Amino acid sequence: MVNVRGPRVRQSTLSDHKQLLTVIPARNESATVGEIVRRVRSVVGGEVLVVNDASSDDTSAQARVAGATVIDLPICLGAWGAAQTGLRYAKRNHFRVALTLDADGQHHPEELPALLNGWRSSRANVAIGTFPQRLSTAKRVAWRYFRMLTGIGVQDFTSGLRVYDRHAIRVLASRKASLLDYQDLGVLMLLRQKGLSLHEVPTVMSPRRTGGSRVFSSWPMVVRYMLHTTVLCFAQFGWRWRFALRAGTRA
Amino acid sequence: MNAAIVTSVVGILTGVAILYLVRRDHLHGSYALWWLAVAAAALLLGLFPKTIDWLGHLTGIAYPPVLPIIIGLGMILLRMLRMDIDRSRSERQMRRLTQKIGILEQELAQAKRGAEAGAEPARVKTGQVIPLPKSSDV
Repeated sequence: MVNVRGPRVRQSTLSDHKQLLTVIPARNESATVGEIVRRVRSVVGGEVLVVNDASSDDTSAQARVAGATVIDLPICLGAWGAAQTGLRYAKRNHFRVALTLDADGQHHPEELPALLNGWRSSRANVAIGTFPQRLSTAKRVAWRYFRMLTGIGVQDFTSGLRVYDRHAIRVLASRKASLLDYQDLGVLMLLRQKGLSLHEVPTVMSPRRTGGSRVFSSWPMVVRYMLHTTVLCFAQFGWRWRFALRAGTRA
Repeated sequence: MNAAIVTSVVGILTGVAILYLVRRDHLHGSYALWWLAVAAAALLLGLFPKTIDWLGHLTGIAYPPVLPIIIGLGMILLRMLRMDIDRSRSERQMRRLTQKIGILEQELAQAKRGAEAGAEPARVKTGQVIPLPKSSDV
């Protein structure tokens, strides 16, 4: 059991506590990953880690050439599995802050400083960079449904552009987060269950250059995703209730 | 009487097959116990067919012969649920091991590069105990 609500004391000055890790999960993104790594390196400092999710192209080599640390997964674990690998690396190497962004170029590394500033000033444990304008009608309807179901007031649940602090890294690196299939609601509900706070920062994103959304690719996938996530929400209902009660007594 | 003999023979054959599989190391301990219990139940029903009637009377089921079918189906459902729980656990462990392999490979490559660059590699002393990771760390 991790006590994440512990006071934020002991701001350690040990040299092995590194500051910032940027995690980029990548699967067959050799066309864009090198450029993204270079841009991230020039915009924010710290280490850049590319988690190569069993790509069949030279994503790994491109990322290495661009100066990233690369972890090659032997089996494809999906977007969240790869991102979690990065968070486990961050925990293992005592990073204080982990940033995640997609390798396909839809997130602009130039937006990262604004995201980090928004995160710092909000003093939240996790910040999500969202771009509500890009949402399709189907997604808007889906997110409204899930907002109603979970009570988490986030505009875009699936955005992979996020900042996690040490507490969030510890929670998400744990075994409990390993059976989640998507990085969206399950992850956010786990964070809330552990008492961590979320903040949304509006950013600018471009449409994906290569490939489409993995979740919203076809109707059977959407149905599968909606059912899967609904079950997850219902299984968490006790937590929402407790959460609402706590909020009620405080008010 | 014939049905009773058939059931008994099936029970005995199942039991023998399970013991054989355990002996050949094809079946893991806790699963073997389950299947031996199934064999024992078949043997019991074969030897004492009246058990069904007694159970039917006890539970108030008017047509006792459906009782073994209902119980059997229920057991199969329980067993399948158990299998899915086990599969979820294996899936979790597989994912975490995959992640760990990736992280360790990266560290190994880094250590090798460091050694080639002239740094002294960390050596394992003879007789040194290297603790294996706890399963909760995997």
